[in-house]
Amino acid sequence: MTGASATRGGEELLDLVAESLSRHELPAGIFNDPGLFELERERVFARSWIYLAHESEVPEPGDYVVRYIVDDPFVVVRGEDGEVRALLNQCRHKGMRICRSEAGNSSHFRCPYHGWTYRNDGDLIGVPAQREAYGDTLDKGSLGLAPLRVESYDGLLFATMSADVPDLADWLGDARWYLDLWTKRSPAGLEVVGPPQRWVVDADWKIVSENFTGDSYHTLMTHRSMVELGQAPGDPKYAMYGEQVHVPGRGHGLMLIGAPPQSPLPPFWGYPEAIRERARDSYPTADQFEVADNTRIMLGTIFPNLSIHNPIRRPHRHYDGHVPMLTFRTWNPLGAGRIEVFSWFLVERDADEEFKRLSRWSYLRSFGISGTFEQDDAEIWTLITRNAGTQVGRRLSINYEMGEKLEVDEEWPGPGVAQPATFSDASLRNFYARWLELMQAR
Amino acid sequence: MTSTAEIAEFLAHEAELLDDWRYRDWLGLLTDDVTYQVPVRIAKERDAGDGLSAEMFHLDEDLRSLELRVERIETGFAWAEDPPSRLRHFIANVRATPASDGGEEMAVRSNVLVYRARLDRPEHDLLSAERHDRLRRVEGGWRLARRRVLLDSTTVPTLNLSFLI
Repeated sequence: MTGASATRGGEELLDLVAESLSRHELPAGIFNDPGLFELERERVFARSWIYLAHESEVPEPGDYVVRYIVDDPFVVVRGEDGEVRALLNQCRHKGMRICRSEAGNSSHFRCPYHGWTYRNDGDLIGVPAQREAYGDTLDKGSLGLAPLRVESYDGLLFATMSADVPDLADWLGDARWYLDLWTKRSPAGLEVVGPPQRWVVDADWKIVSENFTGDSYHTLMTHRSMVELGQAPGDPKYAMYGEQVHVPGRGHGLMLIGAPPQSPLPPFWGYPEAIRERARDSYPTADQFEVADNTRIMLGTIFPNLSIHNPIRRPHRHYDGHVPMLTFRTWNPLGAGRIEVFSWFLVERDADEEFKRLSRWSYLRSFGISGTFEQDDAEIWTLITRNAGTQVGRRLSINYEMGEKLEVDEEWPGPGVAQPATFSDASLRNFYARWLELMQAR
Repeated sequence: MTSTAEIAEFLAHEAELLDDWRYRDWLGLLTDDVTYQVPVRIAKERDAGDGLSAEMFHLDEDLRSLELRVERIETGFAWAEDPPSRLRHFIANVRATPASDGGEEMAVRSNVLVYRARLDRPEHDLLSAERHDRLRRVEGGWRLARRRVLLDSTTVPTLNLSFLI
């Protein structure tokens, strides 16, 4: 990064952020600043639990996928012992990438440079001509591939570069109650179908993460085309009917959107009755079933960059009925104002094949790189990001005051702080409070 | 006997409709049972196959869903393509052979390079792919019955696929 950009970004900008956020504003510059990004890389992405993969992507011993935290590559691999590890994709000898395909199955990884060979649990087990090259001095036991801390929540594999962050359960906090609505909907759990779509967008990761924490307000305008075509409920304000929830101190935020008044939308996202019935027993509490039953669209962000979206949908416009879809996505930053999107489709493992097929269409035709909803989001996020990098534009205050006067919903059965309408920036303010807390920790 | 030149002419005409954003007219080139797929590709080792997923796609369309995309653009609220991208489809290496099941279909492979320029950006995006098409002879010409677009990218280097390849 250039010296000029480092001086304009970084610590100076953070002081301005702290002052602005108390007024429910943020300087636009945080969305495209190389100096600030260098701090985010150290203080957010190296000190958070980052979602890497779902256990169903590596079901058998030897199965692996390569995933990234910013630009650090990791091999997420299930060892012969059944444990899933995230191993730095970098040979301990001369630093070469030991795995160059995106996914596969392998009992070991052999570096193509000099041939150092690692078992799929990361242990160094082979060094060509070891005796001739090193005599008896090489301590292979200390030269395994560097592992990350990995923890799973119901099959969701998170990893962290930090030895200091608390365990995953603590990191997720009250968000677990809401994650359960997805992960425990079926006793069989979820499965990822196929590989993720991957694509690159010139947008800041925070713009996208904040959107999924609590921006139902954009549906009115950004997705107007789909409302016009009857692909979103006819009341263009439909996305306000529901609850916005945030988890104080953690940065996580979600929206649980119900049905507009007098709407014929079926309960429980429109899932088939068999899935709804299984959930009745599968959910840990009756309150969770009750909340799920009233939900038609549920989405959120697990801080910092995992977003989940689960809307009622149709596989095509003439379909008689509804087939919801579920997608996980990470917004992996590649630099200031640039992300790579990983977008996965998931479905209940025990759903019938016909439902899986239709749900995949509901996903592919509305979300992901070609989604008729998501393609308009990408257009907007890139142009916010471009403005945020300009001389005048970076000084503009971005407005986060919506929902200041909204009362907390004391009747809400779930944990966290809930507001009885989703048109609010409360989740967004909470996201940035957490972000700022990490950014200010030296 | 169908000549490759005749098929190439069809593909050039089709590309003109795509480049000119005459998507409504383009729909007229499709059979009612058309399928249009862009599978996700991943980088795999040579002996693990071509890396094209049979399960996951960037686009997996039929006539109804393609019609919806066209209507969406016509709403005037499809921000991703309004203002429209300037798109240029370059079609080359056209190879046409009668489909093995005989009848009135041709299996057509061609290379396609799509140039995309957006708004006032001086930069452009490029997508390179091989198309595997199935063309069906009907009264008065050819119709596209099946298309598989095999992208050369695994990570797609453009912000969205709000257009057809």
